[in-house]
Amino acid sequence: MKNSYVHARKPLSVLLVALILIVSTAALFAAGSQEAAKPTSPVAITIATWTSNKDQIALLESFVQGFAQSKGIVINTTFESIPFADYNTKLSLELQGSGGPDVFWVLETAAPAFIASNLLAKLDTAMKNYEPDDLSAQALALWSKGGSVYAIPFSTSPFFILYNKDLFKKAGAKSPAELIAAGTWNWDTFRTASKQIKDATGVWGFQTVDGAGFEARVLHNLAPIVRSYGGDFWTEDGKVLINTPESVAAVKLFHAMVYTDASVVPPGNQSDFFAGSAAMTVGQVSRVSKLVDAGFAWGIAPMPAGPKGDVPVIGQAAIGANAKGKNVALASELVAYMTNKASVAAMAGIWPPARKSVLESESFLTSNKAIAAQDMKAAVGDSIKTGRVLPSHLQYPQIEVESRMVFDKLWNANANVQSVLDEVAAVYKKYMK
Amino acid sequence: MKDTPKLTLHRMHRQEALAGWGFIAPQMAGFFIFVLAPLVMVFVYSFQSKNLLFGGTAFYGVGNFRDLLADPLFAKSLVNTLVFSAGVVPLNLLLALALALYLGKGAYGTRFVRSIIFLPVVTSGVAWAIVWKYLLQGGTAGPVNWFLDQLGIAGPNWLFEKGWAMGSVVVSRVLKNLGMNVLIFMGAVLNMPPDVLEAARLDGSKGLHLFWRIKLPLLMPTVLMVSIVTIIGSMRVFDTIKLMTDGGPEGSTMVLVYYIYHQAFKMFNTGYASSIAVVLFIIVLVLTIAQWSLRKKVSYYEA
Repeated sequence: MKNSYVHARKPLSVLLVALILIVSTAALFAAGSQEAAKPTSPVAITIATWTSNKDQIALLESFVQGFAQSKGIVINTTFESIPFADYNTKLSLELQGSGGPDVFWVLETAAPAFIASNLLAKLDTAMKNYEPDDLSAQALALWSKGGSVYAIPFSTSPFFILYNKDLFKKAGAKSPAELIAAGTWNWDTFRTASKQIKDATGVWGFQTVDGAGFEARVLHNLAPIVRSYGGDFWTEDGKVLINTPESVAAVKLFHAMVYTDASVVPPGNQSDFFAGSAAMTVGQVSRVSKLVDAGFAWGIAPMPAGPKGDVPVIGQAAIGANAKGKNVALASELVAYMTNKASVAAMAGIWPPARKSVLESESFLTSNKAIAAQDMKAAVGDSIKTGRVLPSHLQYPQIEVESRMVFDKLWNANANVQSVLDEVAAVYKKYMK
Repeated sequence: MKDTPKLTLHRMHRQEALAGWGFIAPQMAGFFIFVLAPLVMVFVYSFQSKNLLFGGTAFYGVGNFRDLLADPLFAKSLVNTLVFSAGVVPLNLLLALALALYLGKGAYGTRFVRSIIFLPVVTSGVAWAIVWKYLLQGGTAGPVNWFLDQLGIAGPNWLFEKGWAMGSVVVSRVLKNLGMNVLIFMGAVLNMPPDVLEAARLDGSKGLHLFWRIKLPLLMPTVLMVSIVTIIGSMRVFDTIKLMTDGGPEGSTMVLVYYIYHQAFKMFNTGYASSIAVVLFIIVLVLTIAQWSLRKKVSYYEA
């Protein structure tokens, strides 16, 4: 018995030592953090982005340092890169807590919800020093509410056609450049070219945007066709237009390309434009870097025109300040600085600007080395001026998942386009009040 | 003086107990903080109207559960979950048992077959789903359809046609997890007492009779345990769905866990998502209790 008593004491003493160690280490850490929390002159600013590209982060850091110099203060920046797929989720959770970033990028689809939930600081005062009129009202529409601006778009990037010149040549089809020159670049000639290439070469004529046009990016895929036919999904004031004759005609054209012509990479098929397995796709300036090592000659062209002419679709991303952050005023000023004329010009080759003065400058047209100046003007610059973002809504994620289930019915050969779109319209109407 | 030994004994026990608690404390702390507390919080949230993005928490009573009844997406995902389990569980158990009985005989090539079957278990679920998505492409682009084409059969677009998607996901999931069940069943098969089997054979039992009357009852405790684990696993499916079908086509593979994810992390309806989680918890609990109470009826032999 006595023996086991001794045995029982041993673990106890080991445990005591362990406890003392843990407590003392914790105390040391706590002391360390207390020291770090002491107010010193440098200001700590955290910036959340979905890029982890070193050059892009360095560019953003150079703006922060430029801002700090202009203010005569020292800023220590911490960049928090959140993967794109988790961006909204993680950022929202952080912003609800107390340790959220001071400045952060905002996704287009999150804009209405972020503004409505008071997570974004008003930027009107901070913007005053940086020519706010240079930013078009159209570009700011998504990021404004009740006359105030809550985030400033740093990227206003139109969708355009990327095409494989070699495949066009091989099929003997007129290239988009030739069709543009002849003034006949529209959805009908686009469809003809796509079918001609598929029939002549066996390679798919068209791949939807990121290959996800039947799934996650169904709106991005259909929007350019639907809008240039004079249709839309829904409007700002709550009108549902997806089942109008114009929208139906547009969707029918795409449906026929997939199921009658069989010239579009079908749902689930993993053939990829960037690997040379499709002759055309839809992309943005940021996608062009994927073509640097492409094994084929390629070109870019604006989206084809429809009966209502050219109606470009743009994708936006903005930058905003945390309304509940420790340095709201400073963070707001930083956001304004990061989207001023000089900063926007420096970013233009990666993220096309929303500032008119930069768009119209010569240097913008040559800002991306992979894109020729005339293409940059036709497919990017001109499209930004007239382009519109996708329709937005506070409950976008719910609308997206619910309407996707109905859109799925389109993707078979016998689908009745009108009745499917009537069903989609019914889903939309539930949310438009 | 008489009391001293008793006191020492008492103190000693207390010290031993203290030491014991001390040693399991780290593990218990982890369990309380990361398992029990969230579990309790899910129940609390399920009675609240709570949105992570818009902030604000208010008591909502059984409101979330009432909303569930009127939510067509919830009904759909509930049915889909049951269909998925009804596909995965029997297929998995039957295949695993058949393979275990065959491999238990120690026939030629057993080791090779066993390795092949177990390989998917150690493969990452993400990689598995992505490879299957590639295999199951429509037209003749996917290897599965290419093979069918060689036999003169035009295969469907497996993951994009409503009638085929759920079946495709079920098959890929079964093949992924089969190996573990085969391994457990093999252990049970090899542990069947040879004297009992021999006695049965001497009494003239063979073939199906031997299986139904002797082998299956001997294996029943294992079958029961494996079926509970497989059912619970099938109710928890997420990665396969997210990567292979994203809940489509037409929502035909939207299962409960995926719907919870959608409500909680895309819509930020934490309260509502918690109420779905509670429903899922109750379903799994009821199934488990039912299976355990069935145990006495179907299990003649307890290992």
